[in-house]
Amino acid sequence: MAVVTQREFVAEEAALGARELMEYCYERGWTDGLPVVPPTIDRVKAMVAADRRPAETVIAQHPATGLDLSLHAAAVNAVMAGCLPDYFPVLVAAFEAMNRPEFNFHGSTASTGGSAPLLVVSGPLTDEIGMNADVNLFGPGNRANATIGRATRLILRNVFQMLPGISDKSTQGNPGKYSFCIAERSRGNPWPLLCEAQGYPKGTSSVTAYAGGGFCNVENHGGNTPEQVLASVADAMANYGCITLGQSVVILAPEHMKIIGDAGWTRERAQDFLFSQAKRSVEGMTDVGKYRDREYDTQHGDGAHALAEQGFIHRGLTPQDILITMGGGDAGGHSCFIPSWSRGRGSIMQHAAIKRS
Amino acid sequence: MQLYSPMSTTPKRKSVRAPVLSSIDGLRIGVLENGKLNAEEMLNEFASLFVQRHGCTVRTLAHKSNASAPAPSATLVKVAQEVDFLITGLGD
Repeated sequence: MAVVTQREFVAEEAALGARELMEYCYERGWTDGLPVVPPTIDRVKAMVAADRRPAETVIAQHPATGLDLSLHAAAVNAVMAGCLPDYFPVLVAAFEAMNRPEFNFHGSTASTGGSAPLLVVSGPLTDEIGMNADVNLFGPGNRANATIGRATRLILRNVFQMLPGISDKSTQGNPGKYSFCIAERSRGNPWPLLCEAQGYPKGTSSVTAYAGGGFCNVENHGGNTPEQVLASVADAMANYGCITLGQSVVILAPEHMKIIGDAGWTRERAQDFLFSQAKRSVEGMTDVGKYRDREYDTQHGDGAHALAEQGFIHRGLTPQDILITMGGGDAGGHSCFIPSWSRGRGSIMQHAAIKRS
Repeated sequence: MQLYSPMSTTPKRKSVRAPVLSSIDGLRIGVLENGKLNAEEMLNEFASLFVQRHGCTVRTLAHKSNASAPAPSATLVKVAQEVDFLITGLGD
């Protein structure tokens, strides 16, 4: 194979077939284990053109190594993941959100906790680029969901060098580390969309990034009141394996949301309910070896939320630590709870506006 | 056909190892505790071995509020002025 470095960003020159190009990317360690689309110059230029700023614009920086993520590098990885240029603004906004120090994307990626950045895309752009907010929400089959999430992982790997076993020390990881991206369902959603609740101007879409530590299905086909449905969710949030002071994402199935919405419950009321119910006693936490004075004091000390009950450890610090929205197919009482990577004092849930050119 | 590299174009930060100590006898120890469960206990126990075996003294116990974020520069600068070597670790 003839290999010639020609210019700053050009890695190699070679006359290769599709299969050989794919294998070449494997050999260089540029993939997540699955084949990638070769990042040819034309493809990358088309991707970069989806953002009006210069290609060398830095949109994120690794806090420990100082490695920069430029629009150009993001575009290369987006191409490799299989993204269309229309998807690129979502990816850019996701890294702008994750670049906030509070998100600590180095820690959440390097940690034994094994979290993956979950992206929740909200607003009109989701329909425009064909994202899936409906049946099989977290499953395969939708190009935008799959490739935006995959590009996020490829950037963490290739640009920021978060390499499994070296700088990514996840004990077990989770399947979301291949791709973890969904759209918020607007159809039939009784609550303001996340992008509206986050305060963005009408018509502006947003992406929320969250260091998700896995996926917990919450099945309830018998509950017919908000309290019954949400008690199931709260129990999942407070299971001994998951409960920490960390944040939460809850995606309610349309069946469950209809019960809650028809009863007139707002998002805020549901958040309060979940926060007050997702808890374990100090004795129970002690029995399983997870009780820590420091965490109890953090939750019950100065500035404690009024719903934090003495003698209990709640999940999160406030009801606002729980993101709730709707997604999935019409049929089935299957919601989900996404636990967070454990947190320090920052917030591992950040959002940003998606800027379209 | 030309391919772009998917890696960052930023040069990696240059880091230099501190010179190796010729002896640790009688030196001043700093302990950087990262807030993990049992970290302080483990690190203090570790430091006590240096005290017993090499006549070291523990001068500073510094804390990090976030185990997974780099230690603040101000913390490192302060500790570096007070000690000859620093012990840190995860402690989970």
